[in-house]
Amino acid sequence: MDYRLFVEKAVRAAVKKGADAAEVYLETGRDLSVEVRNGDVETVQEAASQGVGVRVFVRGAMAFAHSNDVSEAACNSALDRAVDMARITTPDEYNVLPAPADAGTVEGLYDPGIAAVPLEKKIAMTVSLEKQAMADARITRSAGASFGESGRQIYIANTHGLVQVCREGACFLGVSVVAEKGEQKCDGAEYCGRRFFADLAPEREIAAAAAEKAWSMLDPRPVRTQRAPVIVHPDAAGSILGGVLAAVNGNQVVQGASFLGDKLDQPIMSALVTLIDDGRRPKGLASLPFDGEGVPTQRRVIVENGVLKGFMYNTMVAARAGTASTGNASRGGFSSLPGIGSHNFYMQAGTVSADDIIRSTKRGLVLREVTGYGINPVNGNFSGGASGFWVENGRISFPVKGLTIAGAAGDMLTGIDMVADDLDLNRTFTAPTFRIREMQIGGE
Amino acid sequence: MKRQWYSVRDIPRREFLTKTLRGGAALAVTPALLSGLSSCSSAEEISVRTELDPSLLDSTIRRGLAKGGDFAEVYIEKRIVRHISMEESKFRNAVFGITQGAGVRVLSGDKTGYAYTDDLSEEKLHRAADIASAIARGGTPADPVPVTKSSRESYVTVDMPLAAVADGKRLDVMRRANQAALDFDPAIKLALISYYDEIRGRTIANSEGLLLTDELPLLFFIVNVMSEGKGTRHMARERLSRHSGFEMFDEVTPEEVARTAAKEAVVMLDAQECPAGRMDVVMQNGWGGVLVHEAVGHPLEADNIAKKIGAFTGRLGQKVASDCFTMVDDGTLPSFRGTTNYDDEGTQMKRNVLIRSGVLEKYMTDILSARQLGLERTGNGRRESFRYLPIPRMTNTFIEGGDSDPDDIVASTPGGIFVKSLSGGSVNPVTGVFNFTCREVYLIENGRITVPVKGATLIGSCLDIISGIDAVGNDLAFGPGICGKGQMAEVTAGQPTVRLRGINVGGSKAG
Repeated sequence: MDYRLFVEKAVRAAVKKGADAAEVYLETGRDLSVEVRNGDVETVQEAASQGVGVRVFVRGAMAFAHSNDVSEAACNSALDRAVDMARITTPDEYNVLPAPADAGTVEGLYDPGIAAVPLEKKIAMTVSLEKQAMADARITRSAGASFGESGRQIYIANTHGLVQVCREGACFLGVSVVAEKGEQKCDGAEYCGRRFFADLAPEREIAAAAAEKAWSMLDPRPVRTQRAPVIVHPDAAGSILGGVLAAVNGNQVVQGASFLGDKLDQPIMSALVTLIDDGRRPKGLASLPFDGEGVPTQRRVIVENGVLKGFMYNTMVAARAGTASTGNASRGGFSSLPGIGSHNFYMQAGTVSADDIIRSTKRGLVLREVTGYGINPVNGNFSGGASGFWVENGRISFPVKGLTIAGAAGDMLTGIDMVADDLDLNRTFTAPTFRIREMQIGGE
Repeated sequence: MKRQWYSVRDIPRREFLTKTLRGGAALAVTPALLSGLSSCSSAEEISVRTELDPSLLDSTIRRGLAKGGDFAEVYIEKRIVRHISMEESKFRNAVFGITQGAGVRVLSGDKTGYAYTDDLSEEKLHRAADIASAIARGGTPADPVPVTKSSRESYVTVDMPLAAVADGKRLDVMRRANQAALDFDPAIKLALISYYDEIRGRTIANSEGLLLTDELPLLFFIVNVMSEGKGTRHMARERLSRHSGFEMFDEVTPEEVARTAAKEAVVMLDAQECPAGRMDVVMQNGWGGVLVHEAVGHPLEADNIAKKIGAFTGRLGQKVASDCFTMVDDGTLPSFRGTTNYDDEGTQMKRNVLIRSGVLEKYMTDILSARQLGLERTGNGRRESFRYLPIPRMTNTFIEGGDSDPDDIVASTPGGIFVKSLSGGSVNPVTGVFNFTCREVYLIENGRITVPVKGATLIGSCLDIISGIDAVGNDLAFGPGICGKGQMAEVTAGQPTVRLRGINVGGSKAG
């Protein structure tokens, strides 16, 4: 079926059914996953799926309906439902759809070669990955290795004449292992996700990283409750960046529910920090030419040398804020209304090495994992569980577990005093290693 | 593969569930009565019936076993959802959705093949069976038992079927909650009300000859309330959820839900810095049961036990907790959020005592892990939808009530914190390390609850925590939540007031 024609036709049908404006979002996809444990296939899953979501506006009121049946009849029925539901919502002047705009192309989002690789080869790679991760004598058990791939096509049309179509795909390879020593158990997992099959990291690299994460945490020692510097490893950066990201969400801002809401053009972080949201990075796992409403994506500086430069918007929230969409409408598939989300969101690399940061720290925590919700975007409070390594006299001395860290976002973000050069842009939500001057650490 | 953390979010306490529990016998609602939903509504109401011709189920199962598998299953699902959100006193949007599809699963020894389709035609079902069957290599095809329709006892009752509820009634409960929240205190600046309901039809057929069909209603009502003042803000939340009809709102009113959230929002504006370090923690009855859900429940799910990587591997029959600790998973509590008549593999729901007086008695199994471990099927094989494999999941999980007076527990605690509500928590099922984020917390000073403190994190390991529970109250209560384990499941967690000795608390102030 020509889905481009299908969505254009559905938009016209919506108008006939009484919608003043409408948008039709259609997605088709296929997924494959292979899980291997102890040298043998444990699970193979495969599926193709599709669905359509229709958003209609009747006299300024908005409603949405979705169906995973993409026949014309089912789509018409969804439109009827949506028009019907628009009777009960509140009209709002900011209920608007985007105008058409050329989204251009972003290179490297789809590799037809992924699906062409025979299943046997994918299984063999996964088996080999697990075997290599288990090769380390300190690793005692496998929690499984897996390969996954997905591909999808997106079609969006609206009554302003906007029509956008794109195709994307990705593949993933990962492994999780356990190191045991006496009564101790530590697990370690590593995965690699890429747009192109040929770009997947070598199995030995993924295997070694997973094994290291497990065995390096054996024989932890307690530390006392204290204030000390915290060196945030890239694996743990998400827990700090996540709160900033949620607080620059335009909807949180217009609702008065962001601790950064009134801080535009003000310093909110250390001058060493620049945060970028890039929807157009070639081969980026979170890149797309247009967002969940068909608005072209951008590469935007969110924080520049510590100064907050902008919030993230979709079309409706931007209208309310009196600005233009930033191409950050996010969509959790055909069954979801557009929200607001980031693309490839990262902290720019600094100039020193991660080792330099450790060497210049007399005593402190290398934060490898944070549990909990991270920074609270409403009030900036932060509290989490922490594990990693303890630094003494500029050297990593021993692993630490079961600690807590806490503080206020303002102090943490302005307290970043070193940023390393080890940024890995293959991750979609990341930072190089960086140091926070001082935080409250809870231990013994 | 990302490291797997299992998490539960935002389970509020709800005492009505205790009342229901004490109410005793549930009225059994048969699938036939529930499917009456479509007949009592307008003509255009869509049915969630998922019955297919038994011969098509048989032929799909047969194809699934054609390459030598030893168990095959067809799971068919149809779900109708309605979601309305009210923000800043406006009905922001309304959503209506229909999803249907089927998953075909084939087991061959320890191997699983799975494929799903949105299309319920014979061609697509057979193709899914062919894909799923490829996991089995060689061996003689098992001979499936032809499916025969059977039934299970029901634990879900419906007085006011969702399909018969006019949209105006849905809007009305939202308006009432919104008004009650805004009227509570001038410090309340924002109310976000979310109403969700669904009807899920299931058909489960397998090579053991099982054929079951039912329809389950689900209601989920969420109130978020934000306060502002004294230089800070606090977002509070309260939720209400049951597998029942619209009568849920007669038993607990929208106003009660909103006021509970509003009260927390206002109180927490006065929160001081929380001390950091090890201290005693008293957790109020109700949804604080998320603590054992995470710390003990997930590690007792049999999938990681079968893989020999779970924290409780090899501990069956051993003393793992203090004598005062008994923990139960019970999928039969009447109309609870975690209750169904049978799990998503067709196993009858039951009450499973997991730990009795400190001794580990049972793991929670699905069909695969029960086979692998040679254990009974406990009714814990659940799945988010037809797009997911069933895996061992909790239903309604709780610490059994003890004999201490909750006031005495606080009074006999010289210092520490009193946790009134939690945002949620997570656990690493291999190491047993868990964390919880508190939302409404107070200091305990000299046996008295004093000032509120900022939401802190509690962390520890599962074995430490259950041996550190030294007081269990007589006030068991429950709360509904969402549990994530690679896929979502609706659950209830419960507990009486309990005291945990020496928990690491992540405060921002030096202890």
